[in-house]
Amino acid sequence: MSTIPEESKVQVIKEKKRYPYYIENPVEENRVERFLEAFAAVLKYTDYKPLLDSYCNSSAKCNRCAVTCPVFQVTHDPRDIPCYRTNLLLDTYKRYFTIGGWFKSRFTNTFELTEEIIDEMLDGFYRCTACRRCTRECPMGVDHGMITRLGRYILSLMGIVPKALQVSTREQLEGETHNTSQIPKAALLNTLEFLSEELKDMLGIEVEFPIDKMEREYVFFCAVSDYLLEPETLMGNAAVLYASGDWDKWTIGTCNYDGINYGLFYSDWHLENIIKQLIAEVDRLKGKNILIGECGHASRSAHDFVPVFSNGKPYPVFNFMEYTLQCIREGRIKLNRDIVTEKVTYHDPCNIARSGWIVDQPREILKSFVPDFVEMTPNGQDNYCCGGGGGLVSVDEIHDFRMNIAGKVKAEQIRRTGAEIVISPCANCKKQLKELVEHYDLPCQVMGIHDLILKAIEIPGAKSAAERKEEAAMFAM
Amino acid sequence: MEAWIDFAKGPLFAVTFLIMILGLARLLIIQLYNLIISKGGRLKNAPWKSILKDAATWFFPVKHLIKGTVIFSAFSFLFHIGVIIVPVFLADHIVLWENFLGANLPAIGQGLADFLTLFTIGCILVLLFMRIFVRRQRAMSKPMDYFLLVMVLFPFLSGYLASHPGSNPFTWESMMLVHLLSAEFLFVLIPFTKLAHIVLYFFDRISGLHWQLRPGAGDRVAKALFDEEARV
Ligand code: SF4
Repeated sequence: MSTIPEESKVQVIKEKKRYPYYIENPVEENRVERFLEAFAAVLKYTDYKPLLDSYCNSSAKCNRCAVTCPVFQVTHDPRDIPCYRTNLLLDTYKRYFTIGGWFKSRFTNTFELTEEIIDEMLDGFYRCTACRRCTRECPMGVDHGMITRLGRYILSLMGIVPKALQVSTREQLEGETHNTSQIPKAALLNTLEFLSEELKDMLGIEVEFPIDKMEREYVFFCAVSDYLLEPETLMGNAAVLYASGDWDKWTIGTCNYDGINYGLFYSDWHLENIIKQLIAEVDRLKGKNILIGECGHASRSAHDFVPVFSNGKPYPVFNFMEYTLQCIREGRIKLNRDIVTEKVTYHDPCNIARSGWIVDQPREILKSFVPDFVEMTPNGQDNYCCGGGGGLVSVDEIHDFRMNIAGKVKAEQIRRTGAEIVISPCANCKKQLKELVEHYDLPCQVMGIHDLILKAIEIPGAKSAAERKEEAAMFAM
Repeated sequence: MEAWIDFAKGPLFAVTFLIMILGLARLLIIQLYNLIISKGGRLKNAPWKSILKDAATWFFPVKHLIKGTVIFSAFSFLFHIGVIIVPVFLADHIVLWENFLGANLPAIGQGLADFLTLFTIGCILVLLFMRIFVRRQRAMSKPMDYFLLVMVLFPFLSGYLASHPGSNPFTWESMMLVHLLSAEFLFVLIPFTKLAHIVLYFFDRISGLHWQLRPGAGDRVAKALFDEEARV
């Protein structure tokens, strides 16, 4: 069939190369029983049963999902077909938890859950970045991302979860620092002081970061790793808040300052408790709204799950880009169009773009001050995942998988734009894209949208953007 | 033979049709119950607008003809037109509906009916062909996927032959009997196989609602499995 396009071909792959991840206490025995026991508990106490009933009675097996998946597009391995993987869980459900399945098993040799299938699941569910691109093209509406997550949830209940994720969430929920990067309060305060000094040097403004201020309009949470890795993004955030005149309307809480929620990727229990921790901090500070910094999954988890897990009226959740755009529209901040001369493209983080929530806002922001803006194709709701979604980016040991498989399509997409700057307003995407740029030797740099805003913002009484650009150029020489 | 046909048209039709309706009603009630009663107030938080907007794009799915699956997708979309219209609106079937349900539906013309029938048969053959010969398609297919396609083919083919004596190598009676029995067998299969998507499709399409998780459920799962506090 020579007419079949490249991305839809399938190879016969005898031995699938596995990319194992570290598990804290690997489970060796009785995995089948333990899996079924965990599955039964999940079915008993959660709402997934009707979902599975509905999915297993109607999956079309049309394979449309295959061609949409960036992983399958690279491996062409039938086992990377989203529907195939989803069916591992659906078949287990059908066989062990429905009357029809039990009945069938009395008469024929039907599906049986085996050690091999457990292996396939623990491998497969972490080969999917849960980007949910396939979901948009499934004619039946099967949300493979949700099934991947459910599969991971069940596995996590028997102790199978990448150590990197488990250790982080443990620290976040039970550790002293209550955040995934183990940044103690003193270090946070130091960082904020450092950022103040940087802002003074760079912009010539004197600010003190608002810490634990009560009854503020916005309580700010970013991916906590930004305090270590993305000072420019945070300074961009701060610059917008300062320039807009809202400096006394926001605060950072010191009991909880981490927006990261890996529960979104693998566990209902963690998801709920991390959200509750977030809500508790806003309660404590008597804040009015939750403002999430540049992070896709932190934004989605707060935006979608604060309402779910709130008792009473939920706090409204905003992504920082929504706030910035509002300031631009109201004329409260000014961005200089002559500063950014490079060609810029925008990578949509799946967690905020797939649902259509944040697609136009960043484009409107960028187009307001970037003369040379190019789109990747496809983009927006149909974007490709960076390859590090679903928590995979935090799992260092599968770096090769993220580079050579999951992120390959993205790397090619970036190369095709010819952009010199890739904007990616998400801590996870940023890390993955930076690694991709290095791995594929792409001639561009990756940054957050507020890093770019920081270059171009004009603040009355502060150094002009042009002056700053000159200084930066001299500094670079 | 006459008596068999009468039997198939009468009591057997009634029973199998009832099985289908009751079976589908059961699925419908379970789904509705779970959505409305057990999800309850949480449903109002759901992103209804985007879910429905997304669902709407599938009623005219041209934009979903994506590279790599154009042929298979196009044929399966088109196939559904005939599969829905012919069984319901064919003039000969209208009589049945009137007898059993008292419903007075408008009928489609014979010409259109013939065209749609042949077209549907064509679609089924293409889909079958692709399942068999396209490796990616085959990799995912199970016996049931072929079986159901063939089972849908039967009533269409036999119906067409029965109403076109010129092209029918068998007697009208035998064709009619095959037509009736295969359709009735299909009625019985519908609620128990993936054909149940007649009803469940609508729930699948809005399955994004299931992101509205049940508060406290994670805790209960953990307690059931670990006895005390959840392991972190
Ligand atoms: S969710 Fe993303 S990575 Fe996972 S199967 Fe679908 S397209 Fe592939």
